[in-house]
Amino acid sequence: MRMWVFIVRRSVLLIPVVVGVMTITFALVSALPVEQQLIAHYGQPGPHDPWIYDPTLSPGQGDCPPAPNNQSCPNKFYEYAINALGLNKPIPLQWGVYIYNSLTFQWGTVNNHSTVADEFADLKDEPVTTVLSWYLPYTLELAGLSLAIILAIAIPLGNLSAVNRNRPVDQAARVLSFSGFAMPTFLLASLLLMGTVIAVGSLSATHYLVKSPWCPSGEAAFTEFFGSWPSGSCFNVQAIYPTWMGGAVHSSPTGFPTIDALIHGQYWLSLDTLIRMILPAITIAFGSIAVLLRFVRNSMLEVMNLDFVRTARAEGIPQKTVVRRHAGRNSLNVTITVLGLTFAFFIGGFPVIEYVFGLNGVGLILAYSIQQSQGSVDFGLIFGTTLLFTFIIVLANIIVDVLYAYLDPRVRLG
Amino acid sequence: MTEIEPTAAPSVPVGKRVNPRIAQWKRTWYFLRGNTLALIGLGIILLIVIVALYATTTNVSWNAMTEICGTNQVDGGPSTCGPGFISICTYPAGSSPPGPGCYQTPANELSEIAPTWSTHPLSSGPLPLGSLTINPDEQYFFNTYDGLLRGSDWSLIISVSVVATGAFLGLMVGAVSGYLGGSIDEGIMRLVDIFLSIPQVLFVIIFVAVITQVHPTILGLSPSASAMLELIIAFIITWWPFYARVVRGQVLVVREQKYVEAAQASGASRGRIVLRHIVPNSVYPVFIQMSLDVGTVPLFLGILVYLGFRIFPSPYFPEWGSVTALSVVKLQLFLETCQVSGCVIPWWQLFFPGLALFLYAISVNFLSDGLRDALDPRLRR
Repeated sequence: MRMWVFIVRRSVLLIPVVVGVMTITFALVSALPVEQQLIAHYGQPGPHDPWIYDPTLSPGQGDCPPAPNNQSCPNKFYEYAINALGLNKPIPLQWGVYIYNSLTFQWGTVNNHSTVADEFADLKDEPVTTVLSWYLPYTLELAGLSLAIILAIAIPLGNLSAVNRNRPVDQAARVLSFSGFAMPTFLLASLLLMGTVIAVGSLSATHYLVKSPWCPSGEAAFTEFFGSWPSGSCFNVQAIYPTWMGGAVHSSPTGFPTIDALIHGQYWLSLDTLIRMILPAITIAFGSIAVLLRFVRNSMLEVMNLDFVRTARAEGIPQKTVVRRHAGRNSLNVTITVLGLTFAFFIGGFPVIEYVFGLNGVGLILAYSIQQSQGSVDFGLIFGTTLLFTFIIVLANIIVDVLYAYLDPRVRLG
Repeated sequence: MTEIEPTAAPSVPVGKRVNPRIAQWKRTWYFLRGNTLALIGLGIILLIVIVALYATTTNVSWNAMTEICGTNQVDGGPSTCGPGFISICTYPAGSSPPGPGCYQTPANELSEIAPTWSTHPLSSGPLPLGSLTINPDEQYFFNTYDGLLRGSDWSLIISVSVVATGAFLGLMVGAVSGYLGGSIDEGIMRLVDIFLSIPQVLFVIIFVAVITQVHPTILGLSPSASAMLELIIAFIITWWPFYARVVRGQVLVVREQKYVEAAQASGASRGRIVLRHIVPNSVYPVFIQMSLDVGTVPLFLGILVYLGFRIFPSPYFPEWGSVTALSVVKLQLFLETCQVSGCVIPWWQLFFPGLALFLYAISVNFLSDGLRDALDPRLRR
């Protein structure tokens, strides 16, 4: 089987999974009251109008086009919305409309009475997909960095601990693995953050201060450590930064913060953004490293006992080369499989990490959209984020399968 | 052959018939006994279970709830405590007491009580692990010692009920799927794939967010008990697919064994084969996974609480993950607003709940690792 045939076949097999996930979210959405469903899809109809059908209005009153936020004809809009979502039709038809909407990226609108809209004023009444497209690039960059960290640490350390079985290196790796399982991500993230601040910071009259090279006074507040970029608490952002960075995350050209900074010739800013990503990336990587380390070690132990490794050793090839070229390559399959299996767990860590470090990613938006402190829960964003994360996981699984087939031709040929 | 194999299993005395399954348990215990880390893990878990039993059977737990539920009655407002709780009346220094039995509290001092053996006027006993208050303005606090004691049983109850039910469902579904094979197997495994591609935290969030809106009360329970039950149900729904996949993989091996063939030849029904032969012989990986997962549930609860998702009736609900999450929030807030005068970092607020949570999670990890070594002959060596 050629590679592209294999890719197409795997992709087709994943369609039922995607539709199945949408069916689950549909089941949950359709359990909500009609009013909530309408808000999730169309946002609030107006600043004060609830989504209700007002029977006192005459049928022809305000014969206006069915546009959102059209307050002159609430009944018309209500009827239009109910019809458009198929809420007055049988469940299978509603399901069809939902699947169609999900596949065509009509994932709803941000509710302007929710906590997330209160926190991020420029998200009000924006379509969910637009919001997610603003915040996704940062998450992707962070994910890329932490995947690189995972691979750079887990594979060599796993090999090392298999070669030095039951020696101190192996025990240390084992302790690392155990603590990765037992440490809650939010605790690790906060400890790293607070530890860094207490270590490098100093106490001032009002805050913990942190030394900051690009602060006129040389020191910035504790909150400087949060966020994807240096904040305005230290200096006037508007004066120093180019306009695309004036505050709103979505005014940058590509959305990828480091690339944006490079495009605008702000090399130090690009570097600063990258430095800000390191601590969160390590935190996310920690849990996955714990899982991966164990599997890499075990698979290396198995491979090291196989005949071809013994032959290679008998030929007088140095130990280093045997480990790297003969045994290491064979344990790579396991690494990739486990990475694919734990990818959902990996992605699930993003809301916490981005919330702890205040990073402008999708996870941060999710974290705010489930809060009720300054408004309601935002169902449009919650379901949108779930679909997005699921898509990412499904895509990652395809990539893992393809990589696996590339590394082990038996999979696609057999 | 004079050399005795160092890890040889104790042989069953000849002539004395021992149930093979019990013999297997004895063998497992024999190998587990040699693993120091696993024994430490087992010891910590037993300790936690004893503490939890102590907390449920003595009334110390109810005293702990006093602190948790204590409400600010400075303005003479009604207590938010439910029946069976004592509300604490406090008032700030400088103002007149709102009623008899009210305690004066110096502002900003109440929230930061360092670990002490002396009894604070507001607490039912000493504060060996210090106090925790989320908001510095609040006039009540959380006695960390009582809270952790009380929280031990909540953490155990929630995690054990989630994992046991999830594992049971997964075991049954996986066994049926693996044994029957064909289109049923294909269908069930696709369902498992679907559930596994939604991150667990996200599924729990969307499920609980919707269900608590639609059904604030279920089965005639109180709203807070219903919310708790719905949370547990959400966790179970996310948990069974892992077990189904693990068990199915095991069943595919077990069903080819001779004894299954023998059972089929002797005319045993499908149900009997699955229940008596397949399930008991593919249950070991489930135990390993279960012991691992029992430690993960409180971590997930902590994540949800940390994100500000309302899953517990009270913000001071004594569950270890929740308490840890709240103390993290508190400490961050503290670092942002820390004043020079009296700016002692309240390390105890994070240290003790975090330690409890970490010890719990890591001890089940130790045990799980030991179990894996004991049950998998290939890794023994």
